[in-house]
Parts: sequence; C-alpha cells; structure tokens
Amino acid sequence: MAAAKYKSAKTKRFVNNTIVHVSLAILAFIWVFPIVWVVLTSFRAEKGSYVSTFLPRSYTLDNYIKLFTDTSILNFPRMFMNTLIIAFFSCLIATFYTLAVSYCLSRLKFKLRKPYMNMAMILGLFPGFMSMVAVYFILKAAGLTEGNLIRVALILCYSGGAGLGFQIAKGFFDTIPYAVDEAAILDGCTKWQVFTKVTLPLSKPIIVYTVLTAFMAPWLDFIFAKVICRANSDQYTIAIGLWKMLEKEYIDSWYTSFAAGAVLISIPIAILFLCMQKYYVDGVSGAVKG
Amino acid sequence: MGKRRTVLLMVGVLAAVSLAGCGGASGEKTGAKEKVRLMVWSPSEDQSKDSGQWLQNSCEDFAELHPEWDITFVYGIADEATAANQVAQDPVASADVFMYANDTLTIMTDANALAKFGGKYREEIETTNSPEVLESLVKDGDLYGVPFTTNTWFMYYDKSVFSEEDIKNLDTMLEKGTVSLPFTNSWYLPSFYIGNGCTLFGDGTDESQGVDFGGEKAAEVTDYLIDLAANPNFEIDADGSGLAGLRDGSINAIFSGSWDANAVKEALGENMGAAALPTYTLNGQKKQMTAYAGSKAIGVNPYSKNMVAAVELAVYLGSADAQRTHYELRNVIPCNTELLEEEDIAADSLVSAQNDTFNRTSILQPFVAKMNNCWVPVENMGKGIRNGSVTHENSLQQTEDMNEAMNSDGI
Repeated sequence: MAAAKYKSAKTKRFVNNTIVHVSLAILAFIWVFPIVWVVLTSFRAEKGSYVSTFLPRSYTLDNYIKLFTDTSILNFPRMFMNTLIIAFFSCLIATFYTLAVSYCLSRLKFKLRKPYMNMAMILGLFPGFMSMVAVYFILKAAGLTEGNLIRVALILCYSGGAGLGFQIAKGFFDTIPYAVDEAAILDGCTKWQVFTKVTLPLSKPIIVYTVLTAFMAPWLDFIFAKVICRANSDQYTIAIGLWKMLEKEYIDSWYTSFAAGAVLISIPIAILFLCMQKYYVDGVSGAVKG
Repeated sequence: MGKRRTVLLMVGVLAAVSLAGCGGASGEKTGAKEKVRLMVWSPSEDQSKDSGQWLQNSCEDFAELHPEWDITFVYGIADEATAANQVAQDPVASADVFMYANDTLTIMTDANALAKFGGKYREEIETTNSPEVLESLVKDGDLYGVPFTTNTWFMYYDKSVFSEEDIKNLDTMLEKGTVSLPFTNSWYLPSFYIGNGCTLFGDGTDESQGVDFGGEKAAEVTDYLIDLAANPNFEIDADGSGLAGLRDGSINAIFSGSWDANAVKEALGENMGAAALPTYTLNGQKKQMTAYAGSKAIGVNPYSKNMVAAVELAVYLGSADAQRTHYELRNVIPCNTELLEEEDIAADSLVSAQNDTFNRTSILQPFVAKMNNCWVPVENMGKGIRNGSVTHENSLQQTEDMNEAMNSDGI
C-alpha cells in the first residue's frame, strides 16, 4: 500500500518533470534557433542570400577567411579594430561617469539633486538620435569629423550622455546602508575614498552591469557612426560594414561573410560576459554587510 | 606695459591667422602651377585594387591632362544610392565631385547641394549623350550632372531553355520554363500596369496630374497578375531566391540589373542570355512590360573651392575614355553615344539589353516629390496577390484602393 503510494508520487513527479523539461526544450529551441541558423550560414559553402534548405549542403571556413583577407572593398579587420578601440574607451569613460553620478545622487545632499534627477528623467524620454545632426555640426565645429579624430568624436558621443543613465546604479547604491559610509568617514575617509574603497567594492554586480551595457552600446550602434563617419571608409565601424554587405551590389557575394561577421562581433561581448560573470555571482552572493 | 605688449602680440597673431586663411581659400600659387585640392567620392569598387582602381587611375590621367594645376586628390566612399543623403547633410564638408543616382537628384537640389552645368560643359555633355539620358538629369531646364551609365532592370535567361523567339513574350516563356520576378518589389511590379497605359504624373514631371493606376485598364492587369502568381511555372523572387534558382536550375529566367551580371554569368556560363523586357498577353493582346529607368551621374558640389577644376574633372570622369575603362574594369555599362557604336561594346548582350530596355521598354522614373507615395501601395498589391487577399472577385476594388493610396499624401 505504502509502496504503491510512493510509486504514484514518483510517477507524478516524473510526469511533471517531463512536461516541464519538454516545454523548456521547445522554448530553448525557439530561442536558440535563429542563432544556430546564423552560425550555420556563416559556414555555408553555397553562395548567395537565399537557399532552399535549412542545413547547408556543404561547409567551409572560406567566409571567415574572406572577411579577413578580401579587404579591398570592405576592410573588416580595420572596422573590427576601430570598433574595438571606440567601444573600449567609451566603456571606460561611460562606466566612470555613470558610477560617479550615481554615487553623488545617492550619497551627497545638494540643492540641484532633485532638479537634476527630474531633468535627467525628462531628457531620457527623448530618443538620442533626435539630436544627431546637431551633434554632427558641433563635432564638425570642433574639428573632430576628419581623419582619426572621428574615433574621438564617436567616443565622446557614446560616453557623453552616460551621466543620464544613473537610475539603476543609484538604486543599488541606495541599498547600501548609510552607516557604512558614516563609519568610514569617522575613520577619516574623504568622500572620494568612501566611493572607491567602500562603495565600489560592495557594488560589483552593478559595476558589471554598467560595464556590459556601456560596452555594448558603442559596439552595436549604427546610426551615430553612420552620420559621423560619412565617406571616411577607413573609420567605418562594424555596424556600417555589415550594413554595406547587405546592399544590392554586395549581398550575393557577401551574405555568408555577413553571417560570419555577425558571429565574430558576438565574441567580444561573450568574452566580456564570461569574465565578468564570476564577479557578478560573487557580488550577489556576498551580500552587503549592514 | 606688459599688458599692452600682449595685446599687440595677439593682434599680430590674429592678423597672421586671417591672412593665412585667405591664402588657403584662394589657392596658393607655386610657380606657374595652382594648388588644387579635390575631394572625390565614389563606390568602394571604383577604388579597390581588385577591380583596377578606376577612380585613382582616371584622376591621375586627368591631372596629366591639366599641367596648369597641382592637384591633390582626396578619396572617400559613398555609393550612388546614398551619396545624396551624405551631401545634403552637410554640403560644405562634402566631396567636390561625387556620383549619384538620378532619383536622388531632388534631395540635393532641395538642399542647394548640386551645381548646374552650363556653357561649353553643357554643350559637350549634350553632344555625347542621348536626349533620354539627359532628360533624367534635367530639372526646371537646368542640367545637374554628367551621366555615366543608365540604371534600370532587364531580363536574364537561360539560352538552353528559351529561344530568341520565346523571349519576346512572357507567356510563351512560361510555357517553356520557369520564370521568376520580384513580384513584391514596387520597382518591378508597376511595369505591367505601365505597359497597359497607366501613367504617373502625366509625362512623369507634372505633379498636378497625379497617378493614374485605376479604372478598367489597371483592374485588367491586376487580374492578369493574379493568374500569373498562380501559374506553377512562375516563382516570386524575394531575398535572392531567383538567383539561387538559376544556380540550381529550378529557375530559367530572372529580372534584375547589371549588378547581378557576374553572379548570373557564374550560374549559367555559356548559356547566359540578357534581353530587354518581353511583352505579356493581356486578353489576347500583346502589351509591353515597361520598367522604371534612371541614370547614374557625376555631380559637382556648389560649395567647391575649385569650381573649374571640379567641373572639368566631372566631365572627364563621364567622358568616353573614362566610361570605356569603367566598362572594361567593372562592367559599368556606358551611355556615351559614340562609345555605344564601337564594335566590341555594341556586341555585348548585356550592354544592348540594358540600353534596349532604357530606350524602348522603360519610362523615366519620375523624381517629383509625390513619387514617394507610389512605392508602398504597389508593394502591398504584390503582397496581397501573393497571400491571396486580392482575388478576381475584389480585384477592381483593390486596384482602386491602390490608386487612391498612390494619390494621397497620407501614410
């Protein structure tokens, strides 16, 4: 009797688990499907943008080789380096801006605090590309739209507005008890030391989050790069290059290499995430001591 | 005392800077040669080593022809379709000489970013180009560029499937093999309507006359298109499926332009044929499919600091010599009338297909502002026929709706 009951509970659990796992497997398949397709396409040997079969008939590495060797029309290695440089420096500057602004708004009491937060809220409601042409003319007046200075211009574009995106980091800083700060100040810390020696070490998860978003924005942006680079092909970023590959003159011969490029641009983001993930977990598990 | 000296020094520096500024603007003279800086934009293939660096070579040839100038060329990348937007965004910081597709002409004239050609230059351009090509670059009587190629679409077919006689009529072709057309693309689909007497803005320039894609003549075409889409030997070409079909042999004819020439050559080899558009049979009568056509031209920036050199360079890049090397290096189909008579070029089926289409089976694609309203309704008609929402029962109403949408400014 008891055995039968036990068995039925086991069966029930088995049935439940099966249903859950099957539905999860279906969802996972749906989510991963497009990515698998892009990866498969990047190894496809048949040319052209359209194929009648889902799986390529034959596989090759030529699409990747072409990206790095056929540089006369679309210079992918240079675009990759351009984007990497721009994204790296934008990421450093933007992360600092965001964290510093968040800290100030969370910990310092000053008159402009409320008005600043309201202003940031309202400015944040407007899409960034609304000011695109104005930004272009300001950068041109500063002489930043020619040659290698375009990189500086793009770094400025991507990091300049970072101070407005403080909400999430500020929310996190607010959860750190003020008593920790007070203790540090009693021990003789300046505000800067409180920020760097107390608040930041306690905020790894939010730093990781900020770094990731600050890196991804310039890495994936198309519209600002297009407006500011204009005809300077030596300054093109990957987004512009990938877009060019899909124009009607190139699409037939570049489509599979486009997929290869799409796979390659996901690599730095993946590496960044994998490196940061450890700290992310550490930060979450090592709860803030009150 | 110290203060006054600083002020004097500053005035001196300012004066020197402003004088240097003047010198730069008017072009410094070194000996007898005038220093000229010309910025030139073109598509990247024109500058790539693999396709012979047409632009660099042509510019150097130009410099040799003009020993009176010491020219520094600065090259940039802007393809014909998007150059207009780049130039209109900021003409002052744009190239002196650039290439553009004629349907983007008004973008630049609206921004006052395109120079007019006049005097001896205009005469020279007029003597070496057909009136149809010139017409594509004229707005309110002014000529805005040097044409270097025509821009339209025509038919590629497999010679082993279709004979010279077959390709004159689309319906004959459909009996012998599979034909594919970008049915849901509004650059291609209107060819059937225009073939049956539908018109856009009168002769294409009179905005007030509006679009006439309605009535019995248009509804007949819609009925024909419904049957065409249902024909098992007809495939709708989308996302490159036509070209893929040519490769694996499931499709025997596609409609596309010179940009696909190399891919088609690779797919069909010796059997590659190119021809102007066929007729189609509507209620027993033969109607000519009629494409939109335009041209690509070399434009000059009105803000150029070296206007004479810029205009001379534009005319040179559009000259017979430059068009010939452009054709040899990159298969860019020439439009210079003298060049077209030369034997080897006249014998090229690609050249004759494109120019035949341009001269005989096309209308000039209108570039009036209201043309912008004409793309989406036609595309929707193609999609409606494909997914079955446009049927023989409602074709008249659907056609009228399309016509109304093409004539309205609403989104």
